Amino acid sequence: MNPPKATPEGRAWRILIVEDEPMLAFVLEELLVGAGYAVIGVATRLEAALAIITNETCDAAILDMNLAGVSAAPAASALASRGIPFLVLSGYSIDQQDKAFPGAHYLQKPCRPESLLKALCSIRPDQ
Amino acid sequence: MEETLHAIRSGQVDALVVEGNDGPQIYTLQGLDAETNRFRGAILDQVNDAVIAVNHENCIIYLNSAAERLYGVTISKALGQTLPQIYNCRWGHEDDEAAAMTALLERGEWRGENVHIRRDGIEINAESSITVLRDVSGQSTGILSVIRDVTERKCSENKVLVSEIRYRRLFETAHDGVLLLNPATREIIDANPFMTEMLGYSHRQLVGKELFEIGLLKDEAASQEMVRKLSRTNQVRYDDLPLKGTGGQLHEVEVVANLYDEGGLPVIQCNVRDITARKRSEEQVRLLMAEVNHRAKNLLAVVLAVAQQTAKYGDLPSYVKRLSDRIDGLAAGQDLLVRNLWQGVEVSDLVKAQLAHFEDLIGTRILMHGPCVQLTAAAAQGVGMALHELATNASKYGALSNFEGQVHISWRVTAAAKPGFSMSWTESGGPRVVEPVRKGFGQVIIGRMAEASVLGTAEIRFHEEGLSWTLNAAAENVLTGRNQNESAQGDA
Repeated sequence: MNPPKATPEGRAWRILIVEDEPMLAFVLEELLVGAGYAVIGVATRLEAALAIITNETCDAAILDMNLAGVSAAPAASALASRGIPFLVLSGYSIDQQDKAFPGAHYLQKPCRPESLLKALCSIRPDQ
Repeated sequence: MEETLHAIRSGQVDALVVEGNDGPQIYTLQGLDAETNRFRGAILDQVNDAVIAVNHENCIIYLNSAAERLYGVTISKALGQTLPQIYNCRWGHEDDEAAAMTALLERGEWRGENVHIRRDGIEINAESSITVLRDVSGQSTGILSVIRDVTERKCSENKVLVSEIRYRRLFETAHDGVLLLNPATREIIDANPFMTEMLGYSHRQLVGKELFEIGLLKDEAASQEMVRKLSRTNQVRYDDLPLKGTGGQLHEVEVVANLYDEGGLPVIQCNVRDITARKRSEEQVRLLMAEVNHRAKNLLAVVLAVAQQTAKYGDLPSYVKRLSDRIDGLAAGQDLLVRNLWQGVEVSDLVKAQLAHFEDLIGTRILMHGPCVQLTAAAAQGVGMALHELATNASKYGALSNFEGQVHISWRVTAAAKPGFSMSWTESGGPRVVEPVRKGFGQVIIGRMAEASVLGTAEIRFHEEGLSWTLNAAAENVLTGRNQNESAQGDA
């Protein structure tokens, strides 16, 4: 996997991680940083995710669909309304997917690191 | 013969002409001559009904062959005996006997039913016609009884009654709605109580309506279609129909309609089963399966992450052992969560589960102290993994790697406006501690991973006398609602 090219402004792509499982959030962060991305924040709960989306500038996000029993759909809407692309990571099977994420790019858990990086690459605004 | 008998008995006949061997003979019935009596006896012996006459002293003065058969007596023995020596009466109702007596006294006759119990105990359902006998001057001379054995008829009547009661009860108490329809008009002719209750209509409101009028089928065409299908196949089934009660409550029902012949008249019976609860439980199972899938995949993702991270540190030969240890820790936490229906885990249980390898040391070299509080599922996973790493580390390099070191594990809920939860792991008596140069994955687990799971802070100190680890968080982020507000204290 080639490291991502920098944004047109010449900085690293800023990614928001929304994941309630600390172990997975940690591994994702390591993976993204190792691949040349900047992780702008790790949110384990919906409120924290919404706060980061509202207050920070991010270029893309990786969303866990279920945050400690709460649907991450509001975060998806907030991202979509700002035109921020995102990946949805989910343990649910395709037919169990929440209809509240229209048009979302889904990735099934457990997800291989290279698949995730490839998917992230494909949704970046520069692609 | 019966009519003749009745006419003779009621005195409507003055004389009879009988064609005999010696040509026609005329018998007058108003006299009491011997010939007339003989003739009467001859007729009475021919009838199937039992005939018994008693005098005013209640002694039997006559009985016919049918009476002999019915009561199991012979005329020679019975004559002169009283009725109770032949049979006793049992009345259906306690007032019946008095009513019969009154009728005899006032009108000179009684007709009715009772049970005659023979001397040998056999019971006969008797339909009797009793008349007071009078002489020419009108004086009562006794009583004449004509008795018909209706035992068989009673028996079959009773069978019908039992059957009627039985099936009526099924209809009344069924936990399915039952509607009976007239196929010609498609109108409801009967509905059971379960049906009226389900819909909130009274019986009277239901009768006369068509199915579409109570919302069971969508329109008149559908009603007609059902009857058409029934006339071809005798049965129509609808697996899932919405049905709205008068109160607006929505039921999901399964309807099976059958076309029957009821003694020459066709009738449609609709069995309406309320499957709302079943549907709801199917939906719950579906949601539960989705949740199980989600959790299983999440856990697999965690295992994958742990495997990748474990591979980053340490050497390959010890890899399987290190990974297996960590998977053991995850499995132990999982057991506890499932046991508590994913609602939370008692801290002392969590500690014991993660230190299961050191069970023998608990109470001697591993000391626990803290209140009885429950961690949320998320906190239990993070804290559990941290405890597991701490124990593994202690047994390799710390207080549990020699024969005398000790570990103190304590936790408490701090009383404050916003209660806090604090937990510590303190080692002593182990080999002298040197701070590791390189941070391993274990440190990540007891550090930032534990912090993230409780939304709090973790501190690791490498004192010379032993490692110490403390975790602090707001109680509301860590403890289940059940004990968050309790200032529970005491040893676990």
